[in-house]
This record gives sequence, C-alpha cells and structure tokens, in this order.
Amino acid sequence: MRIEIRLDQLLLDRRMSLTELSDRVGISASNLLILKTGQARAIRFSTLAALCRELDCQPEDLLVYRGE
Amino acid sequence: MPQMRALGPGSVSSFLKTVLDVVHIALWFGLVAAILLIFIAVVVGFNPALLGELHVNLPGLEAPERWPLVVGRLTAFSIYLFGILVIVRQWQGIFATLMAKDPFDPVNVTHLRIIALALAGIEIGRYAVFVARAVLRPGGHGLQPGLSLTAWFSVLVVFVLAEVFREGSRLRREAELTI
Repeated sequence: MRIEIRLDQLLLDRRMSLTELSDRVGISASNLLILKTGQARAIRFSTLAALCRELDCQPEDLLVYRGE
Repeated sequence: MPQMRALGPGSVSSFLKTVLDVVHIALWFGLVAAILLIFIAVVVGFNPALLGELHVNLPGLEAPERWPLVVGRLTAFSIYLFGILVIVRQWQGIFATLMAKDPFDPVNVTHLRIIALALAGIEIGRYAVFVARAVLRPGGHGLQPGLSLTAWFSVLVVFVLAEVFREGSRLRREAELTI
C-alpha cells in the first residue's frame, strides 16, 4: 500500500514555500519535509485539517493512493 | 514526601548506573587478579619447588600436585567473571539510556539479547564445569549438576523483555514519523 502526499504540487499551485506553510500550520519545516518526501508513517487528522485549511483544498487533493 | 523518579538525571536509574560503574571497575580488578593467579598457578604447577616450604590449603585440594585443578578452577572462575562483566556492561548501556529518558532506544534490544545470551552461557558453563570435574576428579565434591529452572526462566524473561523493547522502539519510531 502506498499513499502519496501531493504537497509539492499544491505548494507550487499556491505559490507558497514550505517555510511559509510551516509557519501557517505550526508544524516544523523538517516534519513537513518528512511528509513531502513520503517518509511519514501516519498523519494526524489535525495536521491534515491544518494543511487543507492553509492550502484551501480537500484531503483528496493532498492524498493519492498508488496501490501495491 | 518527594516522588522518586525512575528516569533522568538524579533518578533511581542514575543511582543504579553509578553502582554499576563501581561494580564494573571492581569486576575488571577481579578479572585481572584472577588471570594473574592463573599465571602464577601455571608457573607453580610446572615447578612446585618455587613455593619452597609454603603450603597452600585450598578446599578440596589435598596435595600440591593438584595445581592443574587450581588452574582449571581459576580459569572457570575467570570465565564466570567475564560473563558477569559482559552483563554489567550491557546494564550500564541500558541505564545510560534510562538516564537520558529514552528507554526505547533500539540499542537496548541488543543489550538485552546479549544479557540473555550471557546468562545462558554462564548456566551452560556451570554444566561444563560439572562435567569436567566429574571426568577429571571423580568423587570430588563441589558444584551440583541440577538444572536451574530459575536461571533458564531468567534467560527466557530477558529474551521476552528484549522483544518488548523492540516493539517499544518500533512504536517510538512510528510516533516520530507521525506528523
């Protein structure tokens, strides 16, 4: 099972840097980098909600299921 | 009444780490002394005249020509001390992580497995010493060959504890990667 987080694309579309997003959602840039590079094992609903709020998107815009 | 802390500096772990440090040094001294005694016993064993008129009374050893047995005993004792030293060294590592408030450090899994193996080794060594004594000195008294359930139970418990710590460190890693 592989879930990808399309943070790169959303940041590009919003013309937002990782540092700026980090400041807005209150999550360290290193943790966002872990998310962005696909190293994260899990994501909290609160984190997902904060990302959706700041990126003005839905969870389905952020998460993509790639299968086995 | 002040609450006793288990982890961190100034805690019970810190006190036990200090005790282990002292025991570790004492064990090294003991091991070096035992090796020196082996050396002396080997030298005297080859040339008992070196002792002159000195008579050594050791329990179970009636005559000076039993020096090879003294060497054997000292060697077995040194190996036993080395086993204890290995265990104490591992405990020092574990208590260092407890002092750092990080009990689920993956390195503790290795420490615990080595402790379990050392405990098993010491117990097997006890049987080996008994067999060696029975072969070399039939009718002698000393160690009993009985299977020590407590020792083997301890070995199993430590192996289980190692698995508990492995699971703990896995969960900690997962928690670290939960954003």
